[in-house]
Amino acid sequence: MTRSLAVLLLLLVPVVPWSQRRIDEHAGAYRAQEEVLYLWSGEQVRRLFPGFEALAADVYWLRTVQYFGGERLFSGNRRFELLRPLIEITTALDPRLEIAYRYGAVFLCEPPPSGAGRPREGIEVLEEGTRNVPGSWRLRQDLGFFRFLYLHDARGAAAELEKAATLPGAAFWLRTLAADLLAKGGDLEASRRMWQQMYDQAEEGILRTHAEEQLSILDSREAAERLTVLVADVEQRRGRRPEQLEELRRLGVWLGSLEDRAGVPFSYDVSTGKVSVARDSPMWRPQ
Amino acid sequence: MGDSLSRLAAVAANTFRETVRERVLYNLVFFAIIMTLAGLLLGPLSIRQDEKVLKDIGLAAMDLFGTLIAIFIGVGLVSKEIERRSLYPLLVKPLSRGEFFLGKFTGLAFTLLVNVAVMTVGLYATLLATGRSADPLLLAAVYPILLGLLLVVALAMLFSTLTSSTLAAVFTVGVVIAGRFSDVVRNMQEVMPGTPRWLSGILYAVIPNFRNFDFKDRVTYGDPVPPEVLAWVTVYAAAYIAVVLGLGLASFRSRDFQ
Repeated sequence: MTRSLAVLLLLLVPVVPWSQRRIDEHAGAYRAQEEVLYLWSGEQVRRLFPGFEALAADVYWLRTVQYFGGERLFSGNRRFELLRPLIEITTALDPRLEIAYRYGAVFLCEPPPSGAGRPREGIEVLEEGTRNVPGSWRLRQDLGFFRFLYLHDARGAAAELEKAATLPGAAFWLRTLAADLLAKGGDLEASRRMWQQMYDQAEEGILRTHAEEQLSILDSREAAERLTVLVADVEQRRGRRPEQLEELRRLGVWLGSLEDRAGVPFSYDVSTGKVSVARDSPMWRPQ
Repeated sequence: MGDSLSRLAAVAANTFRETVRERVLYNLVFFAIIMTLAGLLLGPLSIRQDEKVLKDIGLAAMDLFGTLIAIFIGVGLVSKEIERRSLYPLLVKPLSRGEFFLGKFTGLAFTLLVNVAVMTVGLYATLLATGRSADPLLLAAVYPILLGLLLVVALAMLFSTLTSSTLAAVFTVGVVIAGRFSDVVRNMQEVMPGTPRWLSGILYAVIPNFRNFDFKDRVTYGDPVPPEVLAWVTVYAAAYIAVVLGLGLASFRSRDFQ
């Protein structure tokens, strides 16, 4: 009797993971919605942890980072639907957690597949941050940067940078950058300065890596623009456009690489003479 | 007076030994494990917020574990002696009920002091081991936590003289939670519009305000805690503890153990 019961129990052991797998398969499409069920507004969550709000904020912060990393690595659609609510709960629990605003803004603004592609929401997160931490020049600086980089609003960006420059401890170059934005309306050089600052200010980690990626994207765009200019030069001098980009090398007018920073060859349209970052390259971004 | 103090100290020392024997300080091992794991894992997981998270975890653990010990040991200090009838032979000896009651409080207070002190050392050790500085400002949050824990012990002991240990634990937990929501109590009209203002005023004054003892966020972000604020918190805690212990003692004295 005992033996048969033991055998029966042993046979039942694999049934647990097997049935769990079947349940997971069934729940697959609903998983995101189920996750949403566990999210309330930040204020509601705050009420659950009287005296332990900061600890709860840390837990939600870790969950935000894990969620984003998990979506980036394993999700098929990568829509990052929960990124904003998670950031909102984290910052409601700890309104002074600057990294949450910065991180949330970067990855809400960044277009897919790296981010959610919702720049307005990213800007809103930063605006919330500047309201909750009014003395932080970095958050105000980021708001200016992101207005320029993702909304292409040079005037609004300059205004935010001016405000950042008045805050205690602010970097000296904020005013000159603001003036440049107003004068030139923004260019690749301004973008480069912004991402370079974000790279310098970020500690080792995902934000720094992201800034580095952005600098590589700018390098690639600049290289493509220089090549376009060279193609036009060659056309002017020789009366015809080069058939292939390699011709620029053979003519000795371009000694650099014909690949972008990700190692993908630049795309060249002979009919227009335009050189651009290939659409299948990780360095490609809509312009 | 001297004899009375030495009897009180004897009860306190005995209570301390008893609580240690009840493996109360095992939570320190758990704390050590949490801090070690947090120190090792949090850096990459939290995007370099490990110092803040370590401080949050350390201070929250002191508060949470201390509160649990204060409640669940506190309610048993007197009621267990009554239920086990071990109180009777004690009271036959030249030991007043006051000495017994206050001795029990002092003993558990000392256990909590040791507990918080060891946790503080653990938190500093973890910060130093992970290359952070030993921020002395943390002590400005640790001290009020200890005061809050002493108030919890006093409440637990008061309730344990009035009812069974189970109900005493329920009541103490209730009061501690209500005290942590004191901001909601003060603004009760906003949550429950029909509530009379006088009622919320009385409740706010009567329910111990455990928010007063919470400086964790402030010190984590490096905000200074003015000494006069700490002094007022000390006065508040001392007064409240004295009143609650006085009520508990009165209740304990009035009980008939025949």
